[in-house]
Amino acid sequence: MRSRKNLISVLVTGIAAVAAWLCFVAVPSTAQAPKVSSTARATRTPDGHPNLNGIWQAMNTANWDLLAHTTRPVVGQPGVYPNVQVLAAPVLALGAAGGIVPPGPGVVEGDEIPYKSQAAAQKKDNAEHWLDRDPEARCYMPGVPRAMYMPYPFEITQGTNKIMMAFEVNGASRTIHLDTVDPPPADTWMGFSVGHWEGNTLVIDSSHFNDRTWFSRSGDFHSDALHVVERLTPMTPDALRYEVTIEDSNVFTRPWKMDMMLYRHMEPNARLMEYKCVELVEETFLGHLRKKQLVKHWEGDTIVLDVTRKVPEGDKLYQR
Amino acid sequence: MRIRRGFFPFLTLVAVGTLAAALAQTVVGQTNSPSSGSATPSKKAATTTTNQKTVWGHPDLQGIWSSDGIVVPFQRAKEFGNRPFMTEEEHQKAVGDLERRNARPGRDNRAGRGTEKDVARAYNDLWFDKPKGVSYRTSQIIDPPDGRMPAYTPEALARIQKQRDYLVALLQGTSGGKPGPISPLRYQPPPDYNLDRMNRADGPEDRSSDERCFLSHLPANGVTRIVQGPDSVNFYYDIGQGTGFDRVVQIANRPHLSKDIRLYWGDSIGRWEGDTLVVDVTNFTHETDYRGSRENLHLIERYRRIDAETLEVTTTAEDPTTWVKPFTFVTELKKQPEKLNQVYEGGCQEGNYALMDMLINTRAAEKLFEQGKGPDPALEDNASGGGDDSPNNPLTAPRQ
Repeated sequence: MRSRKNLISVLVTGIAAVAAWLCFVAVPSTAQAPKVSSTARATRTPDGHPNLNGIWQAMNTANWDLLAHTTRPVVGQPGVYPNVQVLAAPVLALGAAGGIVPPGPGVVEGDEIPYKSQAAAQKKDNAEHWLDRDPEARCYMPGVPRAMYMPYPFEITQGTNKIMMAFEVNGASRTIHLDTVDPPPADTWMGFSVGHWEGNTLVIDSSHFNDRTWFSRSGDFHSDALHVVERLTPMTPDALRYEVTIEDSNVFTRPWKMDMMLYRHMEPNARLMEYKCVELVEETFLGHLRKKQLVKHWEGDTIVLDVTRKVPEGDKLYQR
Repeated sequence: MRIRRGFFPFLTLVAVGTLAAALAQTVVGQTNSPSSGSATPSKKAATTTTNQKTVWGHPDLQGIWSSDGIVVPFQRAKEFGNRPFMTEEEHQKAVGDLERRNARPGRDNRAGRGTEKDVARAYNDLWFDKPKGVSYRTSQIIDPPDGRMPAYTPEALARIQKQRDYLVALLQGTSGGKPGPISPLRYQPPPDYNLDRMNRADGPEDRSSDERCFLSHLPANGVTRIVQGPDSVNFYYDIGQGTGFDRVVQIANRPHLSKDIRLYWGDSIGRWEGDTLVVDVTNFTHETDYRGSRENLHLIERYRRIDAETLEVTTTAEDPTTWVKPFTFVTELKKQPEKLNQVYEGGCQEGNYALMDMLINTRAAEKLFEQGKGPDPALEDNASGGGDDSPNNPLTAPRQ
């Protein structure tokens, strides 16, 4: 049951919302007056900052490849023509339902990641072996900024001195400290993030990373000298411009920048679900260590796949 | 002495010293000797509250909270009857008991040097938190009035006993089990989805939920950071030793998820009742266990700030398929300094070399046995964990 105090605060919030909306009108955008309904959300907090509370998600293919790319096999092998790969065993049976990298125009400014020469070779090698090396495949925390543009939602809870980002994937989490606190005593997967407001923009400075996370499934990597500066700016109450500057002098010749959008989930039943990853990949990484193996063709820890995909009668291509 | 949850998957990591965060936290706990001084919690149930509000006008529960190493038994010792608080004399005695317990060598005990039990102790006592003080509360449970857990239903008792018997049978013939030959149960699957340490490692499913990094479960303990927005409350739990989890409770007027959706952390829905955040949690899975309750657990958590330094969490647990009636327990959490920022990232899966090692070692031991070069792994104790007082010993310890 709602108390009278809460009703008043809702009213005050509503008034603040309208006032705040007026502030956004100056931004050339598709912003429209928030509908007065139970789901109406203030565009600003009562203390005047943009209201980032809610569930957000990127709508791009940056997790596959940060640079402009067209479709390609998720795992490929040489086909008839040397430069035209065909799907390889790990994804062969999946066909287009999981076997193909979705295309994208890229999210990197200038469409170039300025790797140092040795690092460029490392990136290429990583890309060729991504299935064996990508921390995503093992349910590890995705790191920053990758967590922000993986194809899964995350929820922002905007508190007084902290802004929390809870990611659906693997239960990963970020704490953005708006106050002054001690850094962690050890390097981290998700970084140590300190934030401040510059007008409508939340600026987040993150450091204290380990060297274990990647930026994409294309082998883009970094060292523990990674320094990330993110800028989140509302373009409308439900869309954030997300700019990221990556600095790591061990790996890159200069700082470089990603630029993309994050969109608000507006479904009335939007929520984070549980991404049950760890248990579901046990067979992939520990299957060869079973006393009685489920996969019949392990050679050491190598999965030898006999892809038997028998299409049942009635479901054959010419029968559909 | 309480082993920090999630310890076992991290033995390998800790050994190479990469969990400095957890170490730092543990060491802080070690430097304080037990006392009834600053660690004394509120003696009486407070009826006051604070006027602190968030910018959105809700009661402000934000901050880092922890039990501060204060011991409150979950169940009340029968000698206290229906008394929820100790007398001064009883409290002094309890502090003395704690000091004596803390002075014991714990895992530094080397009795039976070289035995399986000694080897299983493995890690120095330094790695374990020791309690810092004793509460005046005689039990966390405040209802039923005798402070005791309600009885299990006959069906639950049978279910739990059957699983317990199975785990005990797998220790038969080992140094940690009853004498006898290898039990035929060893070649059968467990009666219930296994979450405990089991004396078998045929595959990952034989290992405990901690060792498999299923994270922790509700009700959670550990250091908690609470951050509030207008329509969500974020709880980040640092359970310790690399286990942590971020839980978002939406303040929403909606029904729970379909009963077909089952979640490790359940489906939490929050609402404000005056100065209290009330969270209703259902939809747990059969792969979680709270004191014998699995998917039918229903929790009602009530968070209320009773003074500037204290967050009172009152939790009612009910499951008519497990207990004959609901029970309610209270924890009082103390505000921790923000600047020290002692909430660290949990990285269970990321550092879990131990699960792989357990399987590798067992396969190697089997091979050696086949070649006549080693003992039968089925007759070795790899489950009871280095001492009869181990909370992971299925022979002696109830699941917490």
